[in-house]
Amino acid sequence: MIFRRSVKRLMFLSFLMLLSPIVGLSQSDSCNYSVRGTVLDVKTKKPIPYVNVVVRGANRGTVTDINGAYVIEGLCSKVNTVDVSGFGYSDSSSTSNTSQGETQNIYLEQKALKLKTVNVTGKLEKKKGTETISQIQMGQAELSIDPTRTLASAISEQQGVSFTSMGSNVQLPVIHGLYGNRVLVLNNGMKHGFQNWGTDHAPEVDIASASRITILKGAAGVRFGPEALGGAVIVESDPLNLRNPFNAQVGAGYQTNGRGYNSSLKLGQGFKKWSYFVNGSFTKIGDRETPDYVLTNSGKEENTFGAGLRFYSGNWDAKVYYSYVNQNLALLRSSIAHSGTALTQAINSEEPVIIRPFSYDIAEPNQLVQHHFAKAEVSWKNDKVGKLTMRAGRQINGRQEFDVRRNSELPIIDLELSTTDYQLDWKHKPWMGLDGLIGVQYFYQDNNNNPGTGTTPFIPNYNTDRYSAFLIESKGFGKNTIEAGVRMDFEINSVRGREVNQSIFRDEYDFANITTTVGYVRELSEKSSFRTNIGTAWRTPNMAELFSFGQHGFKTQFGLLRYYFNEEGEVRTDRVVPIAESEIEPEVGYKFINELEHKSGRNRHTLTAYSHYIENFIFNRPYAVISTIRGPMPVFIYDQADALFIGFDYSWNRSWTESISGTLGISYLWSTNMSKNEPLINQPPISADYRLTWNQGEFWWFTASKFTVKPRYTFQQFNAPREVPPEDLIDGTEIITNDSEIFDFKAAPDGYFLLDLTWQFELNRLSGSLSVNNLLNARYRDYLNEMRYFANEPGRNIMLNLRYRIGANQKGS
Amino acid sequence: MNTFFKLRNYALIALMASSVVLTSCGDDDDDDVPEPVNEVEVITDVKLIFTNSNDASDVVEARAQDPDGQGVQELAILDTINLDTSKTYILTYEIFNNLETPGEDIGAEILAEDDEHQIFFSFTDGAFSSPTGNGNFDNAADPINYNDLDDNNIEVGLNTTWTTPSTMTANGSFRARLQHQPGVKTATSTVNTGDTDFDLEFVINIQ
Repeated sequence: MIFRRSVKRLMFLSFLMLLSPIVGLSQSDSCNYSVRGTVLDVKTKKPIPYVNVVVRGANRGTVTDINGAYVIEGLCSKVNTVDVSGFGYSDSSSTSNTSQGETQNIYLEQKALKLKTVNVTGKLEKKKGTETISQIQMGQAELSIDPTRTLASAISEQQGVSFTSMGSNVQLPVIHGLYGNRVLVLNNGMKHGFQNWGTDHAPEVDIASASRITILKGAAGVRFGPEALGGAVIVESDPLNLRNPFNAQVGAGYQTNGRGYNSSLKLGQGFKKWSYFVNGSFTKIGDRETPDYVLTNSGKEENTFGAGLRFYSGNWDAKVYYSYVNQNLALLRSSIAHSGTALTQAINSEEPVIIRPFSYDIAEPNQLVQHHFAKAEVSWKNDKVGKLTMRAGRQINGRQEFDVRRNSELPIIDLELSTTDYQLDWKHKPWMGLDGLIGVQYFYQDNNNNPGTGTTPFIPNYNTDRYSAFLIESKGFGKNTIEAGVRMDFEINSVRGREVNQSIFRDEYDFANITTTVGYVRELSEKSSFRTNIGTAWRTPNMAELFSFGQHGFKTQFGLLRYYFNEEGEVRTDRVVPIAESEIEPEVGYKFINELEHKSGRNRHTLTAYSHYIENFIFNRPYAVISTIRGPMPVFIYDQADALFIGFDYSWNRSWTESISGTLGISYLWSTNMSKNEPLINQPPISADYRLTWNQGEFWWFTASKFTVKPRYTFQQFNAPREVPPEDLIDGTEIITNDSEIFDFKAAPDGYFLLDLTWQFELNRLSGSLSVNNLLNARYRDYLNEMRYFANEPGRNIMLNLRYRIGANQKGS
Repeated sequence: MNTFFKLRNYALIALMASSVVLTSCGDDDDDDVPEPVNEVEVITDVKLIFTNSNDASDVVEARAQDPDGQGVQELAILDTINLDTSKTYILTYEIFNNLETPGEDIGAEILAEDDEHQIFFSFTDGAFSSPTGNGNFDNAADPINYNDLDDNNIEVGLNTTWTTPSTMTANGSFRARLQHQPGVKTATSTVNTGDTDFDLEFVINIQ
């Protein structure tokens, strides 16, 4: 797969030339129409804030401001139909044939039952290039129930989505069994540039400041680039709406488990030609507790800040964003085992080996992370050309990890990663019925080790340059839409590291790849629709997969280039293998995903079925036990094999009465290592849940009230590797060789039942939620949490979160 | 054409904003290598030194070596401990990381942090007349003749006394384990408290 660089550059250039004839062909009508107006209560004639307004067929929408006003600009048609849906009101639609500037009032009728499902608010606003991919959106209302959650935990309520974790603070989204570098986290349009390797590095994204999160369940590599192999999580902050009167929101919350508290402030305002927002938050949580004991060292502290500014004028639209996240995350003290004996003891012990009284203190092992994100985006619209958008982003991610060791005051990992993105997109005018987006992107990452760790760097210094170009077109005819895209990436890597004797190693390598997607949507009838998508995607092995060497957490690991087999077939680690001499290839994935949706009467069924074949899938597996000065140590190596994932997500939503509705969800996944015909490790088990919602509208003295009860059952992972306890490896009962079947140190935990309750309410300007997670105080372990070897999950947690809006009556300019 | 100029202004603002974001990139040819480190974690060589308390020239040494530290090469126990009967020995250590040149003395570091460390012992039952028994692995309160105490008056074990009996032991076992117990070392902490820095089992002959 390693092409000569010049050949690849040539391929890249010719790809660009292929795109060029399309430029200049687009003509026709302007996209300068707009709709604007106010949404009012039909009875009281009072404005209704925060309802969704979507222009049918245009993929454009907004939310009304505090005065019930909405503006949607940049529409290509003079006649538009808007669909309006809001909490507590019947859906409504209204067709307008208005010239610029005229406003239109839409009246909504109060109804006890409103939101069809909690997940889907109005119509999905789909990103170009993902229209045929199964996706889910979450809005602020759901995210604010627990603003202290991690991104992964917040989205894991969705079918097909789960998270893998290292305790309560470090959680990575899993989509259909894939995570880490295979699920792209897109923060405000840019790939979140962080230390994305292993299961112990989570994206530093503050969900409290997010206005919307979209989860793409298919391979979205063409639109978003490599690493969207398993899907993508798109986080968007405040949309910077214009003509939005001054609004501010102060939030505060408390949770019983971990005795955590949080506070937040958001404010923003939109004028005719410009708008801004500012937000900040603070979270502090102490040691979490299981029903029986304290999870010593499991707290977290987080400060965030964000701001945005937008200028708008006719054809020009410019936005600047900045955000900062500062975290101190504790990892369970008992997860550290420096020898096989200690690991055996930690794994076999019923309770964690170290339990101390509750404390807010965070000690080793812990992670200190600072993430700066800055982005500028300028778009220009023209009748003849379409819309051009230029984005430039820069991110700086500083990470220090502290471990329990003799020199615990020194970080064991101290890295600074800077990421630079340039993107230029051209959304061309419809041309011969084709609607399309063409883009070029440049991505640059520079990773450096800071001195002073007292240990040989686990991850080397490296630089990555990636040049990309893509083209996505869709065409609708009648009830059908076809979407197809192609992307080309060319990536150059330069790596410099140290061996344990401090001699320098270097490697330079590059990859070129083509990614494609083809999708089809058909409205089968008024009630049913079908969508299908085949996408390919690729991913280069990350630096940990290639170069990791030595102990990290409780594992001693060797990356793909750090071990080799000598002539006697014995594993050796005394030199770094140059990638050109190795047989390492990038991962290439083929994902076929289908979704059938059927509505009839009070029922809506959605079935998503998929199969995903990944060539050269890279995974971490136990390899052997070696004797060391510290005693016998389990060794893990990275390996490559072809893997297959097959599964489905099913959801059934039914409105039982005017105000009570329920959603049943089931997620099923089966996966296998095809090269060796054995299971894969750390795959999500089958799960089922039911969400019963009683949407009361006005209740008692509350202006809105909604109860949700969510029972959920997670099965044992039946398709897990066999169990080989570490003591059997240490005493030689079980001998592991290169050909041995995959195993795990502990059998997959039993299935478990959880019950969650939530009450959301609104009292004029005050809104909030009272929720209870794990109401029954169940004792359980989660198969996808690496802490499952050492401790139970946290027990019952009661959370109260309140938000108060200020300035709602002030007028904008 | 007033609007034209206005638009141009906005474009300028936007461009300026983006250039601020983008300054300090483009260092494509960055070729920095991580700085060399003084490896403080790895132990490659441990030497047990038994010195006759009545004759400083009567020294018995036993070495263990892990030539590549964290690499896959196996640990080698290079020597057997051969002690004479009816003698009293003082046991001390040399603990080094020899991946570096010159080697790093980890023993000095452990001594500096002795309130976080303790060495525990396990041996063939009755191999010594003092301490009696089989060591303090199974029960931390069992006798070991510690000669050193940390700032909290808790035993450390970098210096211990061993008296051999008149009876001989052939092919016995002698195991020493250094536990790192930051914040958890107490008068009652055991061989299972904290994390292991070394855990070495030698063959011992008393003849």
